[in-house]
Amino acid sequence: MARFVVTRLALALAVALAVSIIAFLLLRLSGDVATALAGEGAQQADIEAVRKIYGLDRPVIVQYGEWLWRVMSGDFGTSLYFKTDVASLVLSKLPTTLVLGLSSLVFSLLIAIPLGIIAALYRNSLIDRLALGLAVIGQALPNFFFALLLIMVFSITLRWLPVSGSGTWKHFVMPTIALGYYAAPAFMRLIRAGMIEVLSADYVRTARAKGLPARLVIFKHALRNAIVPVVALTAVQLGFLLGGSVVIETIFALDGLGYLAYQSIANKDFPVMQVVVLLLSLVYVGLTLMADIANAWLDPRIRVA
Amino acid sequence: MATPLLAVDGLDVTITTGRGRLNAVRGVSFSIEAGETLCLVGESGCGKSMTALALMDLLPKGAVRRVERFILDGNDLKSASRQHINSLRGTRMAMIFQEPMSALNPVYTIGEQMIEGYRFHRHVDAQTARERAIFLLDKVGIPAASGRLEQYPHQLSGGLRQRVMIAMALMCEPKLLIADEPTTALDVTIQAQILHLLADLQREFGIALLLITHDLGVVARIATRVAVMYGGEIVEEASSERLFARPRHPYTRGLMACIPVPGRSERGQRLGTIAGTVPSLVGNIEGCAFRSRCVQAADQCADAVPLNAMDDHRWRCHVETAR
Repeated sequence: MARFVVTRLALALAVALAVSIIAFLLLRLSGDVATALAGEGAQQADIEAVRKIYGLDRPVIVQYGEWLWRVMSGDFGTSLYFKTDVASLVLSKLPTTLVLGLSSLVFSLLIAIPLGIIAALYRNSLIDRLALGLAVIGQALPNFFFALLLIMVFSITLRWLPVSGSGTWKHFVMPTIALGYYAAPAFMRLIRAGMIEVLSADYVRTARAKGLPARLVIFKHALRNAIVPVVALTAVQLGFLLGGSVVIETIFALDGLGYLAYQSIANKDFPVMQVVVLLLSLVYVGLTLMADIANAWLDPRIRVA
Repeated sequence: MATPLLAVDGLDVTITTGRGRLNAVRGVSFSIEAGETLCLVGESGCGKSMTALALMDLLPKGAVRRVERFILDGNDLKSASRQHINSLRGTRMAMIFQEPMSALNPVYTIGEQMIEGYRFHRHVDAQTARERAIFLLDKVGIPAASGRLEQYPHQLSGGLRQRVMIAMALMCEPKLLIADEPTTALDVTIQAQILHLLADLQREFGIALLLITHDLGVVARIATRVAVMYGGEIVEEASSERLFARPRHPYTRGLMACIPVPGRSERGQRLGTIAGTVPSLVGNIEGCAFRSRCVQAADQCADAVPLNAMDDHRWRCHVETAR
């Protein structure tokens, strides 16, 4: 098990490094850093001067090397727009996004798991069709549109929840639903398909032959096997949720990483963008790693060689 | 006459398929006395497994059971509640399956799977259940039993898994053990060991055994009585000696000609075959299901088949009658 964790950890680091390289190159492609630095109305000569001062005239690989070296020594640079230390800026926004990501994940699992199990148990019944219908809507409806619908109903018509901001837990309710509902269909389909397969497995028949009650057969013997692929999907879905948080946080003006990413893109704030991308990819890689470990724990065929 | 341990009358299993209603089991009746071994033999698709699954109420979705009488150890299971059935499954009747590779749950240890049913039915602590599991693993010939409890199914060979399945089935001291072709999926060398084990355990614990097999050699060695199934029906039933001494149904005779039987077949003798294939069981079946393959078939075989009886020997045939 220790060996398993170490190899996965090394792999995770390699992935994070690759992501940072790609992000660095993409950001360089998306616009000229020197132009952004020099500000609006700057002369060509000023831009060239800035380019020299910041070392932007050097090959990209050298610039990346320097950036990476600084990052490793703890220097993440200064925001061009906020004029503050990028590290503290990003860290101050991280909790909001993590709370949103986790709450929407929990929300989507809370809908998807029971619905998926029920749909599998009563296959082709009315409730199964209803669940599939919900899933289709969830997958087809863009989350920004769903967010706007929520605002219309709960903020404008019913006046139950605040439209925007991130002061209280109430500010998180609609973003959580908008983001979580988007992730639920994939979970639901996977659990439904997994349960249908597992419920006809020989070992489920064995469990019934032992005279175990339905709850043990379904939750202990069937679900435990059906849940294994769901764990792997959870990491992927959390990645989507973090990506989706850029849109959702912007709509609800939720002061998190997603909103920061949107602002820094709008303001060509390259140092911030670079670090946000790196951080999100690290979170994603970390989650995938955790999912691998959780899977190994859940499935002894992976754990016990 | 004392009531038998298991009495089944008029068991039907029908499966709804795209091509119509498939009559997998048709009017099967039999009984098993405590401690005896009944072998159910027949070709693939003749309804043996469906009969066993119907007894355990484990029929796959789409298969419907109807039965006129179903008594197990004094319990009427004809229309028993789910809870009542659950309380008898594992405790009065237990089952082991054809495929030991997939019959154990891959994510739980052998120990956990062995003790869970026992703890559920007997309300005992984990330690008592573990001791029972170790005792039974030892009984089924698994060395170093206590270490095996922590192992997962994928760490065991097929033969060991089937031994674990047998030990697991015996946890709650069932009075009836149903074994559905328990050796088919195993290596030939292991098959004999497992069958001997079943026979030994059956004697030691005095349990009744319903063994489903198509291996007549096995039947000759361990059966008390034999029921031969064809086309969803029991076509012949007798004590083992009587059946092997004088098979009455043409199908049974055909089966015996196919297989070398110790003491009956002579060295160098050519083994027979039964021409044709098992009939489709979709729709209503009139007359004798075997007549299209039967060498003795006559005109009357298209009519409803009479049940002949001589002492405890029963068979369904127009041509071969009690004399």
